[in-house]
Amino acid sequence: MLLGTMFLGLGLVTTIVAIGSLWWGHKLGEKDGESVTNVGYLATFAGLVAYTVSVLTILTAFFRNDFRFLYVAENHSTDVSSLAWLYKVSGVWAGREGSLLFWTWLIACFAAYVAYRRMDKTDALSNMGLLVTNVVLGLFSAAMLFADVNNPFKATPANMLGANGELLSNSAMNPLLQHWAMILHPPTLFIGYAGLTIPFAFAIASLIVNDPSKKWVEIVDRITVFSWLFLGLGIGLGSVWAYVVLGWGGYWAWDPVENASLLPWLTGVGLIHSFTMYRRRDGFKRWAIINAALTFSLVILGTFITRSGIVQSVHAFQADLFSTYLFGFMIVAPLVAAGVGLWLRGDAYNGNDEFESLTAREAAYYFNNLLMIVAAVIVAYMTVSSALPSWLPFGGQSIGAATYDLLARPVGILYALILAVCPILSWRKTDGATFWKRAKWPFVIAAAIFVALLAEWYFALRPIYDFMVSQGGKGAAGFLSFGPSFIYHGLAILAFFAAALIIANGIWLFVEGSRKRAAAKGENVFASFWAILTKARTQSGGYLSHIGIGIILIGLVGSAMYVRDVKTLLPDAEGQRFEVSDYSFTYQGISDEQQANGDIESVATFAVSRNGKQLGTVTPGLTQFARQGQTRLNAAVLSEPLRDIFMVWEGNQESATGGQELSINVKINPLIWFAWGGFALLMLGALLAAWPKRTAGRALEPVAPTRGSKASR
Amino acid sequence: MNKRARTRLIGVTAIILIAVAAIFLAGGNQTAAYYKTVKEASTDQELVGERVKVGGAVVAGSWDRKSNPMTFVIRDENDADDNGPSVKVIYNGSVPATFGDGVVAIVTGDLGADNTIAADEMITKCPSKYESAEGAMPLADLVGQGDTMVGKTVKTAAFVKAGTIAPPGGDARFIATATAAGGEEIPVAYEGALPSGMTDGSAVVITGALEADGVFVATQVALEGEK
Repeated sequence: MLLGTMFLGLGLVTTIVAIGSLWWGHKLGEKDGESVTNVGYLATFAGLVAYTVSVLTILTAFFRNDFRFLYVAENHSTDVSSLAWLYKVSGVWAGREGSLLFWTWLIACFAAYVAYRRMDKTDALSNMGLLVTNVVLGLFSAAMLFADVNNPFKATPANMLGANGELLSNSAMNPLLQHWAMILHPPTLFIGYAGLTIPFAFAIASLIVNDPSKKWVEIVDRITVFSWLFLGLGIGLGSVWAYVVLGWGGYWAWDPVENASLLPWLTGVGLIHSFTMYRRRDGFKRWAIINAALTFSLVILGTFITRSGIVQSVHAFQADLFSTYLFGFMIVAPLVAAGVGLWLRGDAYNGNDEFESLTAREAAYYFNNLLMIVAAVIVAYMTVSSALPSWLPFGGQSIGAATYDLLARPVGILYALILAVCPILSWRKTDGATFWKRAKWPFVIAAAIFVALLAEWYFALRPIYDFMVSQGGKGAAGFLSFGPSFIYHGLAILAFFAAALIIANGIWLFVEGSRKRAAAKGENVFASFWAILTKARTQSGGYLSHIGIGIILIGLVGSAMYVRDVKTLLPDAEGQRFEVSDYSFTYQGISDEQQANGDIESVATFAVSRNGKQLGTVTPGLTQFARQGQTRLNAAVLSEPLRDIFMVWEGNQESATGGQELSINVKINPLIWFAWGGFALLMLGALLAAWPKRTAGRALEPVAPTRGSKASR
Repeated sequence: MNKRARTRLIGVTAIILIAVAAIFLAGGNQTAAYYKTVKEASTDQELVGERVKVGGAVVAGSWDRKSNPMTFVIRDENDADDNGPSVKVIYNGSVPATFGDGVVAIVTGDLGADNTIAADEMITKCPSKYESAEGAMPLADLVGQGDTMVGKTVKTAAFVKAGTIAPPGGDARFIATATAAGGEEIPVAYEGALPSGMTDGSAVVITGALEADGVFVATQVALEGEK
């Protein structure tokens, strides 16, 4: 216990040493300061060792069920399944103190990685980047050491422990968190959060050493895409968890916690695209700096709003003053530093941002940044609105999910349309003839996809709107808040159109690229395709991600806009049937099973058929957790290619006639697999782009050499 | 950048910003709600017809999932008084997995004239771990008043008798005693989650009602202390 705190303290000391020596080395200059600077690098490695020992201390405590650690007592899992050992690991990030430690350790890992990559150079820019990273690291460890509520190594009060160290109280890990997606969701998210420290640190470093060249972007580009990838994976896993555990049949509810992880992801999109412009066109320099600072700031803001309890949320904790000031500082300081830095550097950060028309590809990148920042700012504002003073719009009021949908759909579709045309635009300006020549084939492919989607909409989705509206209640309200039905349907169709265009464009870019390369190099088309995929990774990764976005969009239209939601009560007698749309459900009974730790798992079984054809069974369940005295609903999903049948058994009630009744909620989620599948492709694209550079790949898209020359694709 | 492109860029940017702001301001009104306590919601007549967000503890036994939409009653979390203000919630939507007696439900919906909220959103929060003993009746007094207290919701301060904490599902979750050393005792029935940190001899504040058979049916069990 003491060991943990001690090494945490040691970590802070090494971090301070690193900061001090890197700064002193910088002051002495590149030559004279070299040995001092080297100390900074060594201290960064030593810091990693110290933080690692801290994390290992808490991890071993979980494996030894060492309840002398209050954190272990409050977050240990009581699970006895084959996943039990994994829940011991996931205990490390199940609560606030452990998450903070784990996050700190990850920043230390990233810092050490950067130090390792740059230690043979020790150039001024890298030294300063490492310094800023260490400052962030130091603030994090200070948050744990100097605020008792954040310290994972607090001792358990003596009256909670028995003579042999056994735990007398009922505290344990929240049963809702005992799920495979919850093992993976926090660490992936934290890897993303921690990694996004690096682009911020180097953006500030670039300002401090006054080096507006693309060097800093090249150092951090892949780490940024990698972190953004993990942030995205974390959001995806959280959605999966919400879908199958929280049991309301959706995967996104605009909950403050979800919004918190989305904010930096949105500005991350802006950041990555600004980096592309910085590297390849020597433009968007201020955008890159601001996006880097904003993204980091939003990471902290997101964590802060969900953990501090200023917003009513399931996740709220009590805030202490020290952490409030510390995290408040980390939210504001990055933005101030970036703003003041850019102002001081003045014209140095003027990039090649010249373009002649709104049809230029630069304009598409600009609108990409604009929409992402607008989206992030407005989501952030709406998330914290209930904590704002009342003279601001909606200050003191909380805003419901329907308003988010109302904003997200048109903005998202506008974004999708920009994304769809961006790759067929030219730099500086696009003239009509070139555009149509390029757009011909993509439009043909898009038309084919669009017709298929339109048919699905007409025959399968459109009737759901009428059904849900006729049911009334909350279900109908979500549909009706968009006004007349043509607006609702119109948005859906527009989204399908954008999706078709995005996918068609992505496919065409690969086909066209392979064809051209094959002709130029005299090789097989497939060999060319493989070469583009493996050599020009940032670009083909980008295109793959775009196709992924298009597919996700199809999934979102179906599974967020056209869900058939039916609640029913069914007498507890085998053979009872009920019907939802074309599906028929036959009840086959309940089985209860008591587990070794006292938890009771109940499972209800239903046979499902569609138009008389057997599809299989769904088995929604309930788990009663003995120690925590809580019940968890285990949703069951039966997937078909075009829709999920989602079922929750909400428990049994006594019926009016005295027998038992099962309370059942069935949701038919159309096209949801497109959302998951497209998401996988998006992440695959990001992985490809983040893959470390071994050999310099031939760029698919050479930079236009001189100003004013007609850019080629 | 040439001047025309720049003007247009600014123009389009302005259009986007104005459109987003317009949807935000118009659409926000549909769902925006002030946070009110149960007391405010039940007494302030000006709130009738407004959209409000109200948080309160679910009164034990008041809920009924059979009815569609589901209904239940909430009271302010610190308000154990039997005749304290309450609000009836008519909830149309999926019930969170953690819903139950004594759980704090935060609901959003339109406030009706008859002290009901037609809610379309609900999140649940586990009850606070600590409860002040201020205003709580010592257990000895509760037992001393005998049958007159049966069926009345009260808050009582007591201690946990050593070795009596049992898992939920049985007759009594634990036995409460008047003092740390012993004295009057009553079995406490409780199906919710016990506060972490509660152990043999812990000072607790229990909310609930004494039944005719001498069992205290609790809706909330908290450790004695500052919130």
